[in-house]
Amino acid sequence: MSSGEIFIVVFITAIILVSAALVIAMLISPRSTNEQKGEPYECGIPTRGTSWMQFKIGYYLFAILFLMFDVETVLLFPWAVIMKSLGVMGLCSVLFFLFILVLGLAYAWKKGALEWK
Amino acid sequence: MIETLKDYYSGFAIMNQELTLVLVLIFVLLADLFLGEKGKKNLQFAAIGSFALATISGFTVSFGGSQEAFAGMYVTSDMHVLVKNILNIGTLLVFFFAHYWNKNENRNQSGEFYFLTLSTLLGMYLMVSSGNFILFYIGLETASIPMAALVAFNKKNRDSAEAAAKYILTAAFSSGVMLFGISLIYGSCGSLYFDEVANAFQGLPVQILAMVFFMAGMGFKISLVPFHLWTADTYQGAPTSVTAYLSVMSKGAAAFTFLCILFKAFHNYPEIWQNILWWIIVVTITVGNLFAIRQKNLKRFLAFSSISQAGYIMLGVISGSPLGMTSTVYYIFIYLFTNLAAFGIISNIENQTGKVGMDDYNGLYGTNPKSAFIMTLAMFSLGGIPPFAGFFSKFFIFAAAAEQGQYLLVFIALLNTIISLYYYLLVVKAMFINKSENPIPTIKSDNMSIIGLGICTIGILILGFISPIYEYMTSISFGM
Repeated sequence: MSSGEIFIVVFITAIILVSAALVIAMLISPRSTNEQKGEPYECGIPTRGTSWMQFKIGYYLFAILFLMFDVETVLLFPWAVIMKSLGVMGLCSVLFFLFILVLGLAYAWKKGALEWK
Repeated sequence: MIETLKDYYSGFAIMNQELTLVLVLIFVLLADLFLGEKGKKNLQFAAIGSFALATISGFTVSFGGSQEAFAGMYVTSDMHVLVKNILNIGTLLVFFFAHYWNKNENRNQSGEFYFLTLSTLLGMYLMVSSGNFILFYIGLETASIPMAALVAFNKKNRDSAEAAAKYILTAAFSSGVMLFGISLIYGSCGSLYFDEVANAFQGLPVQILAMVFFMAGMGFKISLVPFHLWTADTYQGAPTSVTAYLSVMSKGAAAFTFLCILFKAFHNYPEIWQNILWWIIVVTITVGNLFAIRQKNLKRFLAFSSISQAGYIMLGVISGSPLGMTSTVYYIFIYLFTNLAAFGIISNIENQTGKVGMDDYNGLYGTNPKSAFIMTLAMFSLGGIPPFAGFFSKFFIFAAAAEQGQYLLVFIALLNTIISLYYYLLVVKAMFINKSENPIPTIKSDNMSIIGLGICTIGILILGFISPIYEYMTSISFGM
């Protein structure tokens, strides 16, 4: 058989197997429904109201600022490992990188993104 | 280790324009932070002035031949420098037109406007000069994420938010499609450097699939039909200055990059992408034109007009020759002045009266003869009527496609030019012939937009006659 024919056979077999499993389960499985089954899992109290509510935009601002410094540490770790062999030039690069990041923080600070309103 | 780091830094030596732009960016951000509320007026001058200096300094850069840095990641040549200079000129013109808007309506965010616009410009620089799909992708995202923020700039306006949502969703989707294509390219070619991809490209089905995905992603960015659906809504909802920027700079940079990548990475099997592009061009020009006829809002109208113009730009790409590259860049250069002139008038009138409908422009000649005159020039040039620059750019781009034997395509494009004349003249008719009960009152333009409109008018009127520009482009262009 060529690869195309094998592909077709495998494809059809897969469809038959999956649909057979679903149909058999639908036919022979025992079924019981009650109210508690429809609720979310396990812990906590039942939710009230709709979950489509608006969150305060401040959370996103803080998350973005956090992300900025999170990424910074990720980039600083590898530099710290080979700091000695990189020498002064490596230090300057990292300082410039930090300068750009601090600029971002200064911007957010000055524009009042850090105040919780 | 220190040696390698020194080698690494030597790569920055050929990135003059990018470094200048980064300096301007940092300067604008710091100025925005520390000038405070009183310095808002000075901020605009600082931003426009420093960027004008950067634009001028860009003309001093020259390499002679092709140069590369960072192991081929970054490629530049005189052609790349020229394209970046063209983008600079366009951005500067947009700044001129946006000055009034930034002074009044957008007063509190003018610093962000300049900063974000320049960020997208930096992304376009990197995109244009990329020698590798990764740098290309980073440049593309740097250009499109701040662009979404710019589209949403009128915070209080729901249209603006809708436009931004459509823009960012399409951008994300097209990036996903394109990244899938790029990953298939990496899987089948084993490299992401354009020249290595070119060597490993054998026309296998999976490679063709990868190329098609890549082309689809680019089609979204350049808004080619059938990937154009976001264009009209985004152009209409965005602030007019941003629409102007989006329609010229974003499109121009993406079109040139598309051309470079097709020439560099896929040049061994041109007939495959030329066939695809053939159909895309026919559909793009036709659909853009037919939809433009029915538009009543001028920004929407120019959106569809810019879709069909993108189809014309692709005529230069399909030829795959140095002549094609020359005519593409020349077309973008002329298109910049023409389209920005139209957007300059629209943004002027919208800023002062809030009107953008085509019916509002009835009788504009009676009240604002100069604006009507410049708008007419822009429409004639977009339609390609002979003495204006738009005629020459269309002529060269048809010549480039005809040189490669694409006669049928050129014929279809010519037919479409006639259709486009009809709707461009509709605007002219509205301004000169239609009578109106309450025409737009006489407006007084601010100095900055007068300078910008003056530059655009001069560009439309005389650029077509200055042959050294075209000859210089011919001398530095390259083909497949």
